[in-house]
Amino acid sequence: MNNQDVARSFFAKMDSHDSSGALALVAPQAEVTLIPLKLQGDVELVGRQYFEQLLSAFPDLSVRVRRLFVGNDNTAVAEITIEGTQAADFFGIINQEKLMDLEQVWFLHVNDGVIDRIKSYWCQNRLYRRLGVKRLDHVTITS
Amino acid sequence: MSVTSIPGATEVVTAFFDAYSEHDVERMVDLCLDNADFHYVPFELWGKQRVIRGDGKVRTIGKVIWTTLIDSFPDLTTRIMYITSDDEGNVAAEVMISGTQAKPFGTMGNQGLHYDLPHVFLFRMGKEGLIEEITGYWDTADWYRQLGRLEVD
Repeated sequence: MNNQDVARSFFAKMDSHDSSGALALVAPQAEVTLIPLKLQGDVELVGRQYFEQLLSAFPDLSVRVRRLFVGNDNTAVAEITIEGTQAADFFGIINQEKLMDLEQVWFLHVNDGVIDRIKSYWCQNRLYRRLGVKRLDHVTITS
Repeated sequence: MSVTSIPGATEVVTAFFDAYSEHDVERMVDLCLDNADFHYVPFELWGKQRVIRGDGKVRTIGKVIWTTLIDSFPDLTTRIMYITSDDEGNVAAEVMISGTQAKPFGTMGNQGLHYDLPHVFLFRMGKEGLIEEITGYWDTADWYRQLGRLEVD
């Protein structure tokens, strides 16, 4: 697989709810940075926590790649949209069974066919709005 | 014919952010094609009747947003933290934008607070070596918190 194929496979496995398959494309020592959640750490800790919470909270999750290119430094840059209906709490956001759609950007650095660095950006305010959160200082209070 | 080996795509984007830091909105616009597209993905202003989104053209909505932002944050700076590009005219940049609020901006009242907010900008370059599309991402929740606003909307 070339670098673009590795990135596409990563998101395809997320779309098919195969978090273990997606994480199998990532080096064990890879660093994951999720900017809006202010989380940074090893893929086995931060990456697995994020993907498993995401799939648990949104059991009908879909992941759609809107744009993908690979930079000359072997970093795949992907614009994706995730969509799903909340069925459980997600990083402190209580479940109100609301539908969310969220555009994200992911940077996946690929080395010898393996992802060895991940960073992601999205607007957490938009996610809060979609899921019914009213205040940033009381994310778990919704009305 | 594909748009291959666009010379200086990274340099054009770097010049764009240099102009942004110098508050030279006209030069920012001049680095874009006349009909360049503009998408600020997190930008949503919720009114009673409709939602205004950050989608349109650089020469209309983009220019207005940049001018208004600089007016509200007169010490605004940009700093490229990372940049990558391919040979097809795609450029991605992580950029730290910082500023101290001096006027209200949109729904954000002025408390005179400072912010440092990481952004991602994706560019598509046209054949003429000018920017034909800009897409921006950031976390508005982080921005709101730093500026003292705690309501989601």
